[in-house]
Amino acid sequence: MEGHAGFMASVLNGDVKSAKLEVKEGIRLIEGILIGRHYKDMPIIAQRICGICPVVHNLTSIKAIEKAMGVEVTEETVQLRKLLEYGQIIHSHALHLFFLSLADFLDMDNDLKMVKKYPKETKMAVQIREYGMEIVKIIGGRVIHPLTDEVGGFKKIPTSEEIQKLIIQGEKTLTTAIKLGKFFEKIKIPEFERETEYISLGKDGEYAIYDGDVTSNRGLHIPVNKFEKNFEELQRPREIVKRVKSDGKTSYLVGAIARINNQSEKLSPQAEKYFKSLGYKMPDYNPFHNILYQMVEVIHFIEESLKLLKLVGHSSLENALTGEYKVRAGTASAAVEAPRGTLYYYVDIDENGYIKDANIITPTAQTLSNLEDDIKEYLPLVMDCTKKERTQKLRGFIRAYDPCISCAVH
Amino acid sequence: MIKQEKKINKKSKPKIAIVSLTSCEGCQFALLDLGEKFLDLMGKVEMVDFRLLEDEDDPGDKLDIGIIEGNPMTKENEKTLKELRKRSKILVVLGNCAAMGGIPEIKNYQEGKNTIKYVYKYIQGIQNPEIKEVDNFVKVDFVFPGCPITGEEFLKYFPILLEVAKTEDFSKIPEIADQPVCVECKAKGNKCLLLEGKPCFGPMILGGCDAVCPTARMGCQGCRGLRPKGNVKAMRATLKKMMTDEEFENVTEIFGLRDDIEERK
Repeated sequence: MEGHAGFMASVLNGDVKSAKLEVKEGIRLIEGILIGRHYKDMPIIAQRICGICPVVHNLTSIKAIEKAMGVEVTEETVQLRKLLEYGQIIHSHALHLFFLSLADFLDMDNDLKMVKKYPKETKMAVQIREYGMEIVKIIGGRVIHPLTDEVGGFKKIPTSEEIQKLIIQGEKTLTTAIKLGKFFEKIKIPEFERETEYISLGKDGEYAIYDGDVTSNRGLHIPVNKFEKNFEELQRPREIVKRVKSDGKTSYLVGAIARINNQSEKLSPQAEKYFKSLGYKMPDYNPFHNILYQMVEVIHFIEESLKLLKLVGHSSLENALTGEYKVRAGTASAAVEAPRGTLYYYVDIDENGYIKDANIITPTAQTLSNLEDDIKEYLPLVMDCTKKERTQKLRGFIRAYDPCISCAVH
Repeated sequence: MIKQEKKINKKSKPKIAIVSLTSCEGCQFALLDLGEKFLDLMGKVEMVDFRLLEDEDDPGDKLDIGIIEGNPMTKENEKTLKELRKRSKILVVLGNCAAMGGIPEIKNYQEGKNTIKYVYKYIQGIQNPEIKEVDNFVKVDFVFPGCPITGEEFLKYFPILLEVAKTEDFSKIPEIADQPVCVECKAKGNKCLLLEGKPCFGPMILGGCDAVCPTARMGCQGCRGLRPKGNVKAMRATLKKMMTDEEFENVTEIFGLRDDIEERK
């Protein structure tokens, strides 16, 4: 699991009421250290919240700043940014669904042992991950903490040879992903259901990732700038992860399972085929299925990346290079779909380009309450197991959620 | 018989642990992102603790090499760090946070302990120390610098460190060559950002990163730290035309370079 989270000992001893995740990270105070700094520092600092999904922190902060200062970007810039996101989601999902979660569904207690037992599948997962990373490397300049993307566009653009190479790699990877998907059909998924609200971006005509409104399976549809009105962020005394609840009281879920529930009809052809082969009916309230929906999304984003790479191969990419723009005072919010769900940024900038205020609401901060509510219902089902089994099952539950504590605390 | 063989085999492999304090964990991912090259290397050692991939309890054995990333920002972090030092023949730190304070250190240059008021309403009971680099707490034997570290550099120096741990001849701990970022940058055929009037700290910063930032047309901001022979005065003079003193100081805060520059004066 990414970040340090443990369980309260009371939970393991059967105290269901206080099912609570305990976080062992320190506070880095990212929003606090942004205040008073130049806007150009913000994407550089904010992306360092997370070593696994820096691309989305980088993009969301850039989008918020551009909106605050009224900076327009070209279509080509948006295309390259979407590709960065596809790459990010592909490599993050490949890591989680295979290396950080699968062992739990194969009744193995150690990921490294799992890797040794399934060398062929490991190779496939590595290949998929490498394709996602290669996209980010070619377009962003580096996988962890990318470099080229900035307010107004890109410092550097990929060459057409690099794009062609990515297309060839992507086509091979699509075949690999479909094969690995078949392997995942065989894993044992625990049965558990609890109704919840699924939140994700939504947009007409596309599986929304880069922009859109905030939508839910319960009919919510609001613009991103109303996010903080609907989702209240609260800190409980002595807790360093802030809780976020829908309309101030209900826990909800974001991430692959939320996106699939909200927009499965917008999947690309191979992803749709794989999704249908799983045979799950929507709405699907089994949180363990998140890992399979990550697999669906891996296939979807490989297909989408190929479509976009072929388009980009024929567009005038030099239009993506940063042009001139004016620094202006303003406030704005922005959201993108991170691998783990909707990531929200708010920023207030003064007329000289210095940051007056900032707020960041991460996917894991949003899902922790839902996870705890789920655990409260799941615990009685595993209370009869031995302590070791129970710990393993709970660990599997938490890992299926794919929490990122580095993001949650920031 | 087979069991015994396995045991001997296990014994002969050097024991290592990779431990994370408060951080983005990007340096661990830089290792994981090496893919098969990393898995091959892991085949040659016994991984006693690697939280990212296994949650098994660490039995607390003596280690050949202890590897640590992040900032010691809680009492628990501090304890983890000190215990790792005690157990390890060689303590290696990964990345800018552990080595130079990283972005959390920006707080020290701003309102210090008061920065928390922008983020939390209830601050009682929350640990909010001044940020200090790992070597303020324990002795550090080797640093892989950068934000994040350079995976290839790890592959280059780690086998040497394993050899040192085996022979216990600690005078053989390697040193990263004192050359500026510019050497690799020029070798790549990049156009010099400074010549275009764009700020870049390359000349005073320790190379070995494959000049990844200037190659992406992003000026070096010094995440790998000052090189031993880095000439801060000359650098400052070159940058005078491109950025004000205040702007220079601000950029040096991002990766915890500011205190090192002040010491050099």
